[in-house]
Amino acid sequence: MEPERFQELALAIEQELARLIVGQRELVRSVLIALIAGGHVLLEGQPGLGKTVLVRSLGDVLELSFARVQFTPDLMPADVTGTNIVTEDDAGRRRFEFQPGPLFTNLLLADEINRATPKTQSALLEAMQEGQVTVGDRTRPLPRPFFVLATQNPIELEGTYPLPEAQLDRFLFKLLVPFPGPEDLAEIVRRTTGVTDAELRPVAGGDDLSAMSTLAREVPVAEPVMERAVRILLCTHPDRPEAPEEVRRYVRWGASPRGLQTLILAGRIRALLEGRFNLALEDLEAVAAPALRHRVFLNFEADAAGVDSDRLVAAVIEASRGK
Amino acid sequence: MKPVRDLLARVRGRLLRDHALTWAANGAAAAAVLALAVEVVYRRWPLDPGWPGLAAAGAVGLAVACAGWALAWPSWTEVARIADARLGGRERLTTALQFATEGGWLYTRQREDAAAFARGADLDALGPVSPPVKVLAVAAGAGLVALALALLPNPAVQQLRQHRIEAAAQAQAADQVQQIAQKLGQGQPGEDPAQRQALTQQLQKAAAGVRQAPDAQSAVASLSQAQNSLRQLQDPTLGQKQDAAAGAGAQLAQNAAAAKAGQALASQDLQGGATQLNQLAQNLPNLSAQQQQQLAQSLAQAANAASGDQKLQTALSQASQALQQGNVQGAQQALQAAAQETQSVAAQDQFQGDVNQAVNGLQQAKQPLENAASGESGQQGQAGQAGQQGQGQGQQAGQGQSNQQGQAGGQGQGQGLQAGQGAGQGQGQGQGQGQGQGGNANGGGSGGGQARPAASTDKIYVPSQAQDTGNGQNEGNQPGVQNDLVPYQQVLADYRASALNQVDRADIPEQEQQLVQQYFSGLGS
Repeated sequence: MEPERFQELALAIEQELARLIVGQRELVRSVLIALIAGGHVLLEGQPGLGKTVLVRSLGDVLELSFARVQFTPDLMPADVTGTNIVTEDDAGRRRFEFQPGPLFTNLLLADEINRATPKTQSALLEAMQEGQVTVGDRTRPLPRPFFVLATQNPIELEGTYPLPEAQLDRFLFKLLVPFPGPEDLAEIVRRTTGVTDAELRPVAGGDDLSAMSTLAREVPVAEPVMERAVRILLCTHPDRPEAPEEVRRYVRWGASPRGLQTLILAGRIRALLEGRFNLALEDLEAVAAPALRHRVFLNFEADAAGVDSDRLVAAVIEASRGK
Repeated sequence: MKPVRDLLARVRGRLLRDHALTWAANGAAAAAVLALAVEVVYRRWPLDPGWPGLAAAGAVGLAVACAGWALAWPSWTEVARIADARLGGRERLTTALQFATEGGWLYTRQREDAAAFARGADLDALGPVSPPVKVLAVAAGAGLVALALALLPNPAVQQLRQHRIEAAAQAQAADQVQQIAQKLGQGQPGEDPAQRQALTQQLQKAAAGVRQAPDAQSAVASLSQAQNSLRQLQDPTLGQKQDAAAGAGAQLAQNAAAAKAGQALASQDLQGGATQLNQLAQNLPNLSAQQQQQLAQSLAQAANAASGDQKLQTALSQASQALQQGNVQGAQQALQAAAQETQSVAAQDQFQGDVNQAVNGLQQAKQPLENAASGESGQQGQAGQAGQQGQGQGQQAGQGQSNQQGQAGGQGQGQGLQAGQGAGQGQGQGQGQGQGQGGNANGGGSGGGQARPAASTDKIYVPSQAQDTGNGQNEGNQPGVQNDLVPYQQVLADYRASALNQVDRADIPEQEQQLVQQYFSGLGS
């Protein structure tokens, strides 16, 4: 794939989504980067901000199969992965037959994922990391590409089960869905209270995403940029000498190497989207917050002081600039 | 890649200029701070001449500038990184430089993208050359303070120079005294060898004392002490003996037989007189009885005239009595005894001359030491004067007790001189040296110190008197300046004239007036 085609496809996806999604350009851009990178996204925002619409719309514009699971406390793992059921054939013989769950799709919306029990949440682990599901004694591959876009509500935390660190790390990005501005709100009302609804047309397919991912992985990265990415990651660790004071004080654990991989890969994709053929420092800084905010685990003191991970990531970026 | 390399070359040139300016400022600051430190250190531990320290500071500054500039020489990667950061290249240049030889169409596209950026890059975006103002301010400040310290007088350096001058003067004086000791080491026939040895020892001790003296003034004091010790080797009755010999000679000259001996003694040719007396003793048997009686009479008169020398008087008297009794042999023996006494006086006179020569030699040796010491006094006096412009000065004259009469000069001079009279020395004269405390605007001052006996020939300066102009301001001579000091001899002459004027009255007996005159004559001899 040519870089120009890459940009053309990305632009087409963004424009098509923009027909339905009002504003949220950074959010759409970040989701697109994650999809090209082949990673999963955790969306966090208040109810009614269009999270579900965004994910469903992606399925429409990308010609991908889409499934939605509303996570609840009584949701069982088999409800997600599928299960073996007893069936009877024409000859009257009974046998077990695997009934695939909603995981067997290209684009899975795990709505309010933090409301499911840890047992159900962990059922997603294998699917997200390995792209396969094991039921009984058989392992079944999931369709390619396979994306999980999970949402969670930062309020109404009663009766929720926070995602374990291991599962959080599986998400490429954690995106915060901002509340729309006045103009965007007015536009949302105009579009959704009229007679006609916008119908989205598919502009790219799974193969396109795969080709885009392959191209992005070839973007050259200069040594100073790589060093900066490593420095950013190390600065998230409170026991490292280069860590800023805020990290030393408020962070329990720093980001894993997956965070570094995310920085580089997402940065490469962003560079191509920006029309460049090299990874720049500003790409790293742009993707640092969605790539690291869920990989930096805060301690109790941070909770008490009201310090969020975005503030710490900003401090990390500042500290990583060095002299 | 050519546009990229051309751009990087231009950026590097600009960086090198920036670094040159920065490190020149750093070097200047280092040199200035070091120079300041050197000047401060010189105030405590002086170095004369001081330019090597300042030159070293300059060399260190130059080395810092050159080394810093060389070490800060940017690599191409660093140049590319800086160019990307300042020109907004978004790591295009850095990436293109790193993968300049890499194959693959995406790398080629990246290099083309970087080249396009390089062609359109504006070097003005690097911004103007910003001089390191803070560093330059530090350099200027430290440099000005160092310059001010360099221009201001450094008391430590002046002290060091004074010490060197004094050390050289001490060495010169010690050599002089050593030469005198060698010259006067040979004794004369008829003199006391112990006295000659004492003379030599005193001189050698004086030379050693001068060498080991901590300063010139101590060396002068050491020489003065040596002079006094030498004077104690002199026979105070020698003058009387010489007068006695001369008187006896005058009487003998009237006798034909003893005319030669008498004339020799009368003219103070004691050696010749001794020879003639021996010859007279040998000729006694050849004289007639009348001549012997006449000679006996002359010898008796000579004995009466030689009352100042007991031995001579006795010998001459015995010779006279022996001749009157016709005892020629006894007269011969008495005359030989008189000749021996005369020769002894002659030898003492010779030794006295050597002692005087040694004393004068020591006095001459004092000259460079006094010059060196007076140089110090002048420096201190000038320093005191500088701080007291327009202020009146004064002095305090302190009268000592019965055996001390002195003056002390002060008023910023920092060192006072005290002239004292040492009673009990038999000389009626002495010198006192002491430290004076400097006064200030009120013209006060004080002097103190222990008086030490000194030779009458010591050249001592005392401050001149302040004069009251009647307007409440003293316009006395500036203290401590050597030009305003009066030689001791002049002061002595003034005192002598004043004293003689005071005693020149009818109610004071002439004998007492003569005592005063003799006192001052003794001081001036």
